[in-house]
Amino acid sequence: MSYNYFLGCVIPGRLPFLEASARKTFEKIGMKVGDQANCSCCPDPTGAAQLDHESFLALGARNLCLFEKSKSNVLSLCSGCTESLKTIKYILDNDNEKKEVINSKLKAIGMSYKGNIDIKHFAEVLYENIEKIKKMVKKPLKDLKVAGHPGCHYLRPSEIMNWDDPLNPQTLDKLIEIIGADPVDYNLKNDCCGNPVEKTDKEISLIMLENKLKSMKEAGTDCIAVICPACFQQFDFNQREINKRNNTDYNFPVFYITELIALAMGMNTEKLGLNFHRIKVNDVLQKIT
Amino acid sequence: MQMVEFEFRNELIKEDFSLNYCYQCGTCSSSCPVALVTEGEYNPRKIIEQSLLGLKDLLIKDQKPNIWLCCTCQMCVEECPQNVFLTEIFERIKNRIVSEGEPYPETFKTQAISVIENGLAIPLTQPIIRRREQLELPKVESADINEIKKLLEATDFKKKIKILEVSK
Repeated sequence: MSYNYFLGCVIPGRLPFLEASARKTFEKIGMKVGDQANCSCCPDPTGAAQLDHESFLALGARNLCLFEKSKSNVLSLCSGCTESLKTIKYILDNDNEKKEVINSKLKAIGMSYKGNIDIKHFAEVLYENIEKIKKMVKKPLKDLKVAGHPGCHYLRPSEIMNWDDPLNPQTLDKLIEIIGADPVDYNLKNDCCGNPVEKTDKEISLIMLENKLKSMKEAGTDCIAVICPACFQQFDFNQREINKRNNTDYNFPVFYITELIALAMGMNTEKLGLNFHRIKVNDVLQKIT
Repeated sequence: MQMVEFEFRNELIKEDFSLNYCYQCGTCSSSCPVALVTEGEYNPRKIIEQSLLGLKDLLIKDQKPNIWLCCTCQMCVEECPQNVFLTEIFERIKNRIVSEGEPYPETFKTQAISVIENGLAIPLTQPIIRRREQLELPKVESADINEIKKLLEATDFKKKIKILEVSK
């Protein structure tokens, strides 16, 4: 079965350049990924999903019904969306009573959830195609020290996500390695970036971020690689905020892994929209050319 | 003084039976990044203890510890030796806070209103639409808002989260 993109909210509405790099990367490795019309918010596993379980299931199931109708699997560009959709599928596929309740709600819009499609995070699909990526590398990112941040919802809860090692993840670092860069081994690799806490307490969210940045710095990092738009925002938007508050000088460029892969494949930087990053990426571009 | 409410406890257990398995070892709190930076003020073990004891007011009215600080990183779930699905239980408690009309962080409500009105947590703006064109990205065909409205009416979402009139 082929894939359609599930874009979510943050990428199309705020960070479209991340989408550009993902589309170009999948094109380059010869994967045709379609577009799925009519999608809503996944819903956000850290936000609206916390307010009402039934609405969470119903909204997510509606999204899955759209893919079922298109006979297409989900290729998600966001870890939060991946976790929400995989969780909803897990619950509905394992709990008949809940599935019946949700299908009775979906009836109002003429839909019914069956459970016959699969959901994948884009980094999962990239990793499955790692040999193809390797063959396409034209400009290995030699000597570039990249701190990979796998994030939370790509991995956990492992019973639902069913991918990589939830406590000692490897796949992101393997992708960094295959494009010729050096994955940085740092202490807090598996910690949350702090983004979801911002809704409740910005201070705590920034302390969590600074702990990660400190750990990356100590390990000797040139730039950060992420695979989730919420993590991207936290790292790209809030380093300056931390510097303002604490008189520090964090200035790590932040990349989506597909941006780094695209660079290693020799793609045009302008078409990738790298100029839209808040933390300028010029130092990294110089280093790799 | 805190009242023990067995019914509340039993409802939580009915919603997620794994609550019963907790033996209060504290592995969850030692793996929690928010507990670490708040020096234990946010404490997942305590939330589970209070759930098992049926201390409803402490959890729902006083909101101590503040359950909205959970970063949903799922480390506690991963590390728990008893397979307690903590974040699922926390979600149910947050649902109760909301449906009983107790206060909760405004950002959650703002996001919910955006989903009700636009189908998306972050609606597309003109500058972003232009930027998408500049990047040669396809037009986003967002959700049919009437479908979203009908579906959320079927689940009684607005009523449950205490949004009576959504502004136009």
